[in-house]
Amino acid sequence: MTTNNYIIDIQHVYKFFNNLVALKNISLQIKPTEKVVILGPSGSGKSTLLRTINRLEKIDRGKIFVNGQDITHPKCDINKIRMEVGMVFQNFNLFPHKTVLQNITMAPIKLKKIPENEANELAISLLKKVGIEDKAHVYPGQLSGGQQQRVAIARALAMQPKVMLFDEPTSALDPEMIGEVLDVMVNLAKEGMTMVVVTHEMGFAKEVADRIVFMDAGEILEQGTPDHFFNNPNHPRAKQFLSQIL
Amino acid sequence: MKDNKQKVQIEVSDGAAIPTKKDFGLFTAWHITLIAALSILLYLVIRYPDPYLDILEFVSDGIVVTFEITFVSIFFSLILGLLTGLGRLSKNKCINLIASIYVEVIRGIPLLVQLFYIYYALGSFFKVPPFVAAVTAMSICYGAYMGEVFRAGIESIDKGQTEAARSLGFNTKQTMFYVIIPQAMRTILPPVGNEFIALLKDTSLVSILAVGDLLRRGREFATESFAYFETYTMVALIYLLITLLLSKLVSITEEKMRPYDN
Ligand SMILES: Nc1ncnc2c1ncn2[C@@H]1O[C@H](COP(=O)(O)OP(=O)(O)OP(=O)(O)O)[C@@H](O)[C@H]1O
Ligand SMILES: [Mg+2]
Repeated sequence: MTTNNYIIDIQHVYKFFNNLVALKNISLQIKPTEKVVILGPSGSGKSTLLRTINRLEKIDRGKIFVNGQDITHPKCDINKIRMEVGMVFQNFNLFPHKTVLQNITMAPIKLKKIPENEANELAISLLKKVGIEDKAHVYPGQLSGGQQQRVAIARALAMQPKVMLFDEPTSALDPEMIGEVLDVMVNLAKEGMTMVVVTHEMGFAKEVADRIVFMDAGEILEQGTPDHFFNNPNHPRAKQFLSQIL
Repeated sequence: MKDNKQKVQIEVSDGAAIPTKKDFGLFTAWHITLIAALSILLYLVIRYPDPYLDILEFVSDGIVVTFEITFVSIFFSLILGLLTGLGRLSKNKCINLIASIYVEVIRGIPLLVQLFYIYYALGSFFKVPPFVAAVTAMSICYGAYMGEVFRAGIESIDKGQTEAARSLGFNTKQTMFYVIIPQAMRTILPPVGNEFIALLKDTSLVSILAVGDLLRRGREFATESFAYFETYTMVALIYLLITLLLSKLVSITEEKMRPYDN
């Protein structure tokens, strides 16, 4: 049942928190360069689903293949997989005891054994890409939220991942900083990165998504193009969700 | 942004009062005590060299021994404390249990009894020099306390840090040593400084093991000379001066340990 043409292949996944069914029979296949945006009300399991993809959350039933490898298999070296799956968190989670540059170079140096000067060059070029190369030598605590999140994106990109996972990357930001982070993500999408994004930014979803996945109560209730989802959703709960946010 | 905020403070009851920044004014209790203790000591030594200067000369090698025991014990108790703290946080049930039992046992037995036990009780099976027994007992005892300090310090770090490190591909150990422990040092340092001073004071207990520390040397002088009042006055003043200076040192180090706090 391994798959070659999917970069992420989620098959009949269940996840329980005590008695709560956080994920209920989820299946989702994502192709290289595809951009998938996951929408749904609070508590519907969006974060949980995203976090199962790099096994920050262990699943209770089903299978997940990342890049053809079964990450639910006990012999799977999850650290290898994680090097190829970048993740960006709502709260940035930068390392406050390291400078911006060190935040970015740490994983390439320690995990990929890239020489320090090469790693520094890579970091600088990534900082240019996210528009804050002048902040290389400051500590994260001295940056605004928008800047911190852009550093966090650069940090994830430094491992040259095949997929990027974003869990509400703009939800902790002041409104005036949301744009600068979304711009970086839009550019990343244009460069062909495979992206799975949980967000409440509908404008971003419409502009970037190849596919919208709508979840509620741990289930995927509807999938389709942004055009389909925003204009003709089939499921009543998708309609209700849209009426509440629009 | 969001996490520079609440500073976690680990409460440790014994030890000495480490001055915080707001206590740094000119006439704080610390300054008054230091100046008073120093003045009394100098006055006594200069005005009455017999017996005070003699006492000072006699116990001076004891001061060195007290510092030796303190530093060696601190070194081993930090290592033991780190292992214990990690053990208490380990998901491995067996390691976790061993670490927890160690902490329970050590915390439940007075240090003086531990010293007797290691030197006399275990000493009946294999004899070790008093200095080794002293350092062993102090390290084992303070290792348990340090273990709690390390555990609390590590637990105080947001779990988002662990998730960020793991999601980059760092394994558990790398995450601990590259990401968590360096940050935990900030919360760990004040209570470690406190334990350090408490340990120095507790080294006076080893004088019962025929280790020639400050108190022991004082006792030797006093029993020879019958100058109990003079001798123990000097001993007390010396301990007081050492702990006052150390507590200052610790608080300065703490202030310097904030590179990313802006
Ligand atoms: N570690 C946990 N322990 C227990 N329950 C959990 C845990 N993590 C999530 N849950 C529960 O699982 C359900 C799904 O949570 P999840 O965080 O995936 O929702 P979400 O769609 O990301 O919501 P939000 O939009 O608020 O972030 C919720 O009911 C949540 O309370
Ligand atoms: Mg969420």
